[in-house]
Amino acid sequence: MDLIMDNKIKIKSNNLNVFYGQKQALFDINLEINQNEVTALIGPSGCGKSTFIRCINRMNDVIDICRMEGQIQIDDKNIYDPGVDVVQLREKVGMVFQKPNPFPKSIYENVSYGPKIHGIGESKDDLDQIVENSLKRAALWNEVKDRLEEPGTSLSGGQQQRLCIARAISVNPEIILMDEPCSALDPIATAKIEELIDELKKTFTIVIVTHSMAQAVRVSQKTGFFHMGKVIEVGTTEQIFKNPTNNMTQDYITGRFG
Amino acid sequence: MTNDTHIVKSYGEELQFLNDSIIQMGSLTESLLTDSMNAITILDKDAVDRIVQSDKKINEYRAKIDTQIMTILVKRAPMAIDLRVAISALRISQDLERIGDLAKGSAKKIVPLPEDLSQALLDSLKRLGNTVKNQLNKTLDAYIKKSKEGAIEVIKLDENVNELTYLSIKEILNFLSKDNKNLEFATNLLFVAKNLERAGDHIRRISENIYYLVEGDYYQK
Repeated sequence: MDLIMDNKIKIKSNNLNVFYGQKQALFDINLEINQNEVTALIGPSGCGKSTFIRCINRMNDVIDICRMEGQIQIDDKNIYDPGVDVVQLREKVGMVFQKPNPFPKSIYENVSYGPKIHGIGESKDDLDQIVENSLKRAALWNEVKDRLEEPGTSLSGGQQQRLCIARAISVNPEIILMDEPCSALDPIATAKIEELIDELKKTFTIVIVTHSMAQAVRVSQKTGFFHMGKVIEVGTTEQIFKNPTNNMTQDYITGRFG
Repeated sequence: MTNDTHIVKSYGEELQFLNDSIIQMGSLTESLLTDSMNAITILDKDAVDRIVQSDKKINEYRAKIDTQIMTILVKRAPMAIDLRVAISALRISQDLERIGDLAKGSAKKIVPLPEDLSQALLDSLKRLGNTVKNQLNKTLDAYIKKSKEGAIEVIKLDENVNELTYLSIKEILNFLSKDNKNLEFATNLLFVAKNLERAGDHIRRISENIYYLVEGDYYQK
């Protein structure tokens, strides 16, 4: 456990409301996410936790019927301000999905693609260095260094997920969003990703959506419980799982409803 | 109030079974304490074998409860109130086992006791024993009702046990001072008084654990 916690707020949502057509998916979400910490979002399916993290990199912009009110601030700046460049925002806020989704390209190209389109790494040498560093930080380098030209899809599920993490961190983001990153993985691959998350939080701010309470306990410092589009309780992970103040949180985490 | 029913019914049943085991172990410990006090105050020498048997049973309960808790931890990875139920049961069963050991230890001291102990000495031991028994009864009641107030009452009354122990020790020393040949008897009686005081300490700890179970926090004076 860290002895010194940097509690600087990296992400802040203010009265965030999200609608899909007529249906309201999130209600007045006010949530603060600390820098260099892992924040876990838990709650039953359809409670709005994935909708919430998709607001942090404006992924919901691509859904026509999706409308939002309120603010999300990163470093005190509203990311929904008209002047914000969404491409730059997504460079800053990387995302890892439930199912590993490498591009149908080589391992090398999977990692070098982002830096190339964002203009990071001018020369081949620069890119080589970025690919190596990213794969090392994603704890995958030793397993793939001799087969960088092989397709990303040739890797195992756990390796593919670490490749996606390498791809996400290759553009030097500040925040990584993870939407159930281990739900398709076996326990060993899950353990490797969790170990990686612990390492990555030293550099990045991580928000993880998970259905595994045990995973939330293992990887996060702060936990938010969502239910029916509302944040029911937020607290340190230790407090939420040992002694939640809200009965609904307690009923959910102890398996009394879901 | 938290919902009583788990989605997985067998999980709820396992926690209920653990709760019941603690209550049964507690009630057995209560009987053992009563038998032990009777053995000392009415010199019921036949009670000793019965007490040894009860203590064995209490130890078996402890082992059974340990196994139940380990199974729950491994199978269910309990959280929040369920985790506290398991952890407090582990601690409470340890304290109950120790109370059983202390009561057995006291009863074993009766064999060399003389039959002409002064009424004042017997009365002071009886008072101490009855107070400890009442404390155990109250703490078990607080456990059954999951009552924070009941637990606090027991914690506060522990001071009475300490005072009565002091008075008993004074009576015992008085008995010793009358005749040097009383040395061995008096030493045994000092053990009995000290064992009762220590049983009182374990009862207080059980109550502190009941408080922790209910509140999710440690009791602060």
